[in-house]
Amino acid sequence: MEDVQKMPQIPNMQQLFERLGDLKSFFVYGQKLIPTLQKIVDFMQATIPLLETVNKSITESTGKLPKAAVQINSVTNATEVAVTEILDVVDGATNDLMTIMKKLESLRSRVQKQGESIQRLVAKYPDDPDIKELVQNGLNPEVLQQDYTEVMNLSEKIQGGLMNITISLQVQDITSQQLASANHLMTSIQTKLSSLLFDIDTKEIMKHHIDTHIDISKDLAFNPEARYDKNHENQAFVDTVVTDNQIQQSQKDIDELFSKK
Amino acid sequence: MALKFLVVDDSVTMRRIVLNSLKQIGHEEFVEAADGREAFTKLSADDGINFVITDWNMPDVTGLDFVKQVRANPKYASLPILMVTTRGMKEDIVEALQAKVNNYIVKPFTPQVLREKIEQIIATPVA
Repeated sequence: MEDVQKMPQIPNMQQLFERLGDLKSFFVYGQKLIPTLQKIVDFMQATIPLLETVNKSITESTGKLPKAAVQINSVTNATEVAVTEILDVVDGATNDLMTIMKKLESLRSRVQKQGESIQRLVAKYPDDPDIKELVQNGLNPEVLQQDYTEVMNLSEKIQGGLMNITISLQVQDITSQQLASANHLMTSIQTKLSSLLFDIDTKEIMKHHIDTHIDISKDLAFNPEARYDKNHENQAFVDTVVTDNQIQQSQKDIDELFSKK
Repeated sequence: MALKFLVVDDSVTMRRIVLNSLKQIGHEEFVEAADGREAFTKLSADDGINFVITDWNMPDVTGLDFVKQVRANPKYASLPILMVTTRGMKEDIVEALQAKVNNYIVKPFTPQVLREKIEQIIATPVA
């Protein structure tokens, strides 16, 4: 009866020794692992200042973005004001030039009529010395026509130049779209940086949201591909696409017409 | 026939340049709008408008949406519409044509090109 009771204790002891062996192995392994763990702790301790620097740097960079956005917006506004002023001057000069050209035309017409009157007087009083003097001192119709043509050509050249200035001022609209695109890009970067800050420190994102909001809602209408390019090939390309499309549409209409029949 | 233009562009500069160009090629009657919404309101209020020149990229209602809105109304089925925009990609042009703009100009443009396109549109018989 006693033998039966002692029998299970032998395997139990055996198991205990095995567990103690495992424990010993664990401690031995742990002892070997301690330097590695220490290295990890040291590395993490060394990383904390670096992470703080990164955090600070991101916060600072993010904080600068709204200022840059405001500056870009003010550049857009300033160029629009400047372009409007230039257009005022160009419009004024164009109107003045047109007045000059009209007056010149009127003057030429009047002088021409005066010349014809003088010719009639010459025909009527060929020997009158006063009329002879008037003919000699009066304007030569040929010279007058030549001067008129030269002045008109020059005026048209100036008019063309003024129009070219107006055409070139389209650059303002195109660059403002490019700047709006840059602002949009900065907002995207700010959003990304904000989420990064959120991962690092929740307090920072709160501060960030309060201090560094970029409002560019008014500038959302832009073409990021807008380019100032006066090359005629761009319009030629558009014309080709338009023509091709119109031909396709015509063919489609014809096909539809016949399919109905 | 005298043309009365509705010039739609969010840029004050561009509206002025389009107007100057129209004046230079002999047109005198204009109505201006800064976006598609304002344009549709002005178009609805003025039966004298018989030609539209519109930009594409505008806040609120874009030029393309404005064109679609206009074409959705049978009253404006044959109203000439010219798109003047910085968008010069083939898919943009095709999209505008599918929305039923009559012709397309890419910025920067010259008054000569503007005149040419207006004349082309006027000369094309309405389908």
